[in-house]
Amino acid sequence: MKNTFGTSAGTQDFKSVAQSDVILLIGANPTDAHPVFASRMKKRLREGAKLIVADPRRIDLVRSAHVEAAHHLALLPGTNVALINAIAHVVVTEGLVKEDYVRERCDLAAFESWARFIAEERNSPEAMQAITGVPATEVRAAARLFANARNGAIYYGLGVTEHSQGSTMVMGMANLAMATGNIGRDGVGVNPLRGQNNVQGACDMGSFPHEYSGYRHVSDDATRELFEHLWGVPLSKEPGLRIPNMLDEALTGGFKGIYIQGEDIAQSDPDTQSVVAGLMAMECVIVHDLFLNETAKYAHVFLPGSSFLEKDGTFTNAERRISRVRKVMQPLAGLADWEVTQRFAQALGMAVHYTHPSEVMDEIARLTPSFAGVSYAKIDAMGSLQWPCNDQAPQGTPIMHVDHFVRGKGRFMLTEFIPTDERTGARFPLLLTTGRILSQYNVGAQTARTPNNQWHDEDVLEIHPFDAENRGIKSGDHVLLQSRSGETSLRAVISERMQPGVVYTTFHHARTGANVVTTDYSDWATNCPEYKVTAVQVSRTSGISEWQKEDRKRDDFLRRIERSAADVAR
Amino acid sequence: MKLEKLVRMANEIARNLRSQPGDQAVTATAEHLRHFWTPGMRASLIEHAQAGGAGLDSIALQALRTLA
Repeated sequence: MKNTFGTSAGTQDFKSVAQSDVILLIGANPTDAHPVFASRMKKRLREGAKLIVADPRRIDLVRSAHVEAAHHLALLPGTNVALINAIAHVVVTEGLVKEDYVRERCDLAAFESWARFIAEERNSPEAMQAITGVPATEVRAAARLFANARNGAIYYGLGVTEHSQGSTMVMGMANLAMATGNIGRDGVGVNPLRGQNNVQGACDMGSFPHEYSGYRHVSDDATRELFEHLWGVPLSKEPGLRIPNMLDEALTGGFKGIYIQGEDIAQSDPDTQSVVAGLMAMECVIVHDLFLNETAKYAHVFLPGSSFLEKDGTFTNAERRISRVRKVMQPLAGLADWEVTQRFAQALGMAVHYTHPSEVMDEIARLTPSFAGVSYAKIDAMGSLQWPCNDQAPQGTPIMHVDHFVRGKGRFMLTEFIPTDERTGARFPLLLTTGRILSQYNVGAQTARTPNNQWHDEDVLEIHPFDAENRGIKSGDHVLLQSRSGETSLRAVISERMQPGVVYTTFHHARTGANVVTTDYSDWATNCPEYKVTAVQVSRTSGISEWQKEDRKRDDFLRRIERSAADVAR
Repeated sequence: MKLEKLVRMANEIARNLRSQPGDQAVTATAEHLRHFWTPGMRASLIEHAQAGGAGLDSIALQALRTLA
């Protein structure tokens, strides 16, 4: 979106959905993964807004008690770009482009070159049908419905980003929104439903290895000098390594130490066996977490973390809204997370002496133009704030790109469909896609240690009756799930939600380890892992996989806390 | 990092930028490598490109030569 609109931020606030007439939901399952926003969306759907679902699975929103989608585009995993191009093809070739909007707001040369590209026959729904598996008539009907809406909104989830062409797909959705005039007011927009509550906040603060806070590249001299001046140290103008590349480098000896806070990469990141090998190759692994999670098994140092109830701070959600987190009790570990990090920095010789997180926010405001007007006092006074918040927008910004795009003219980008290298074949004939359910949160570091397990105590493999029958599998059977990365065993559940050829599982439980099976393929631009497409085979089995056996041994001896001689003497 | 993986990553970038109009594909690929790859990753692959660049897509190869 940075390429097309000038900023990667979500364009709307959440209440905007109450003004939407047609909602295009792509690769997201809000019922399970975003229940709070899902309530708002369902309320609007009950009032009569139309819904188009693009998802390989028949998720709840396709049809449930009070909601029925006008169209379910049940595409094959890995074909998002082919589908969005086909939808845009219909808009362009059937004369549904909002020409006045495009003329006023967009770069016309880029629009014309995009329109020529998208109108090519190879991008038509008929040509793309063989790739996506979605009937051309359905795509045409859905495209017309979206393009003719008074307010058409696109909502998307990790089913978009976690692909080898995730970035291309985001550009494809931005193109569609511009062509149909659906950016810059209530009820429209391109809206990410983020994977976690504070993904937005982490990204805003420059967690990418090529950026400072506020999405400014490290090579930008003016920005770098600002930080150098305040911190009194020279800073590099070159990007650093992304997580998968850190692990690769560790294996060849070029990366030796890591400080991991509140993340469980030995369970959450793809191709678990490579992640573990990378961690084991490092000289110093520090894990700072609430629990002895999977990654902690490979740590040299463990620092106890604090929960959201034990620390002050802020979360920033997908609508760019900064909200306070307030401490209700002293941290059981003695220090809040930010204090642990500060002590760590001090031990390394850095002169940092914050006494409260509000001082950190003041520094953010001094260094980041889009946060210049943010302070704890203002957040407390207003309840919450949506960035950009500065002299131009002292009260914050609910909706982006109102009169013009952040970059000036909206820029259409060419989005060629390029299939992932992850293909099915004789050895691995099925496609695995992954997702989440309501009662567990991500890798379960927090929820799988609670009675939530009463609702979901294991990950199961959903499989279409046809694929199950071919393999002699009945619901409840133990099956071996194999890919070129690894293998794991879990129970199968036969499900009509699946389409033939596609299987699905969640990744909430360490004992299943769904990511033992996922591969190291990633988005070409961001290296976001391709969790949503893995070629697999499924067969009946009687036991657990070799990896699971080894992991269970490690669960015991790598988590044991030895008592020191002094403790023993006492 | 393993050279094989760097080649694969560079080729993916080039393939995805191939359809940009005119000579923008090479420029955009070079810019992407400069913006998002560490100097070490770039240097390894530039060295490989100068030694013939086996396995590299032609756009990636041209982009790496402009970075050399």
